[in-house]
Amino acid sequence: MRTKKWDLPYILLFAALLIGSLVMFVPYLWMVLTSFKSNSEILTSSNHLLPQEPTLSGYRKVLGEVPFFRWFLNSLSTSAIVTVGAMFSSALAGYIFAKFRFRGKRLLFVVILATMMVPFQIVMVPTYIIISKLNLVNDLSAIVIPYLVSAFGIFLAKQFIEAIPNELIEAARMDGASEFRTFWSLVLPQIKPALSALAIFSFMASWNNYLWPLIILNEESKMTVPLALVFFNGQNVVNYNVVMSAAVLIMIPVVVIFLIFQKQFIKGLTMTGFK
Amino acid sequence: MSKQQVSERRFIALSLTPIVILFLVFSVIPIAIGTVLMFFDYSPLSNSIPFAGFKHIQELFSDKMFFKSLGVTFTFVIVAIPANIVVTLLIAMGINKIHDGFWKNSFRTLFFLPAIAPLAGSAVIWTTMFNADSGVVNMAFKLLGLPSVNWLTDPSTALLSVIIMTLWADIGYNIVLFMAGLDSIPESLYEAAELDGASKWHVFWSISLPMLSRTMLFVFIMTSISYFQMFPQFQIMTKGGPLHETYVLALNIYDQAFSFMNMSYASAMAFMMLIIILILTLIQMRIGRSQWEH
Repeated sequence: MRTKKWDLPYILLFAALLIGSLVMFVPYLWMVLTSFKSNSEILTSSNHLLPQEPTLSGYRKVLGEVPFFRWFLNSLSTSAIVTVGAMFSSALAGYIFAKFRFRGKRLLFVVILATMMVPFQIVMVPTYIIISKLNLVNDLSAIVIPYLVSAFGIFLAKQFIEAIPNELIEAARMDGASEFRTFWSLVLPQIKPALSALAIFSFMASWNNYLWPLIILNEESKMTVPLALVFFNGQNVVNYNVVMSAAVLIMIPVVVIFLIFQKQFIKGLTMTGFK
Repeated sequence: MSKQQVSERRFIALSLTPIVILFLVFSVIPIAIGTVLMFFDYSPLSNSIPFAGFKHIQELFSDKMFFKSLGVTFTFVIVAIPANIVVTLLIAMGINKIHDGFWKNSFRTLFFLPAIAPLAGSAVIWTTMFNADSGVVNMAFKLLGLPSVNWLTDPSTALLSVIIMTLWADIGYNIVLFMAGLDSIPESLYEAAELDGASKWHVFWSISLPMLSRTMLFVFIMTSISYFQMFPQFQIMTKGGPLHETYVLALNIYDQAFSFMNMSYASAMAFMMLIIILILTLIQMRIGRSQWEH
């Protein structure tokens, strides 16, 4: 950088960014503070940001009266399976598209890419019909199976695998390694950065997905965390402190995970340019 | 065929078959069904699927609610996308000017944080923040001596409220993308401009912006595609109301398909959405390409 001094424009810029990022933080602060209020306090005292009589009643209700742990586990397990599945299938297909020749390859790849452009609204009704024909409505596998393959993941893996020199792969074959072995122990380690980016995106997309679980999961015991939040919010008498406590319990792990993997995440985002 | 070729063939077939089947069943076939379902009367309760011809498309053109939701969607998109791009570009340029590594990272993290939260969760939190009686937004208004506003229940502010929430929730992505785009502009260009005595404004218009056109095109297309489909915050914060002022197309399609079980009609609407998104993407690509050549 050229100028490294604290002149007035720089101070103003810094102050503006500081205020901006604090404003960005307000909803989180609001969420945490409100979760420690009682419901009557939320509804009556509209002038206090801080809880006047801090209470854990919201948390007690979330953890004690509803199967919150179950919902958490539903989200965690389905997201984990989707992540592993999408990573594996994307790398495998990416490898084949990058390094093999077969008839119809180009067409197949273009078709897979084209599916990325189609809005979910087009496929949601037909996918619902297919899932109900498979008798998987209200089954957690309904939010797993369709996401085991990822067009974006295949595209990403292919880009990275194309950069691996062919000689390296030929050498492995010469040594008598099977095709799958070459893929597993030679190709996979080479594309670790792409795979970790893909893992973060798949996990988050699955963890945060709202519309598809809303359509396909209607039983209380099958809900995922985003549905749970809305479940609390949609009751006849809304218990705001319960909603906020649930929100805290759902958002905080995501924030912590993000802060830990921040570097890979930002790198992955700029590397791929996708959400 | 050599032994090598045989094992290659087998590997391709074994690996690709399950992947292609999943794609067929959950992507290609749904897209195919999705584009023809509007020509039939499909009902989940009935076994027969009678041909309906253009009935559902005719319905579409006489459906006031369809046009209403189309209008709301366009208003949302036309306000939210430019607002998003301007805000994120400004913030990205601002953060990029910070020379202290710690603060640069911290600012980026703080602006990005909302983007990783579940949109449904953020929508629930903002619903309580916009609450007219007990929300923090009106608390702040009171502090500033401003009258309280019924943010989500007043037809004139409901859409604006959802737009504010949407911007909060996802400006982080574009900030990171613009920051990366700005980083990739060679420093020598700026140095040359400085030697020529170019004004800051001039540098922005003739160096930063043109050099960002690739990032810009990408950001525009991705943001448009995602904003046209936005759903959770509309369903959670306002349920499309008041007076359908926030009844976006995505919500209308969801209601038709899963509340009223008019799945064929919903497909007709979804198809319109696809056409609109395709046309807009093509226009953006055309404009973008002519800028690159420039």
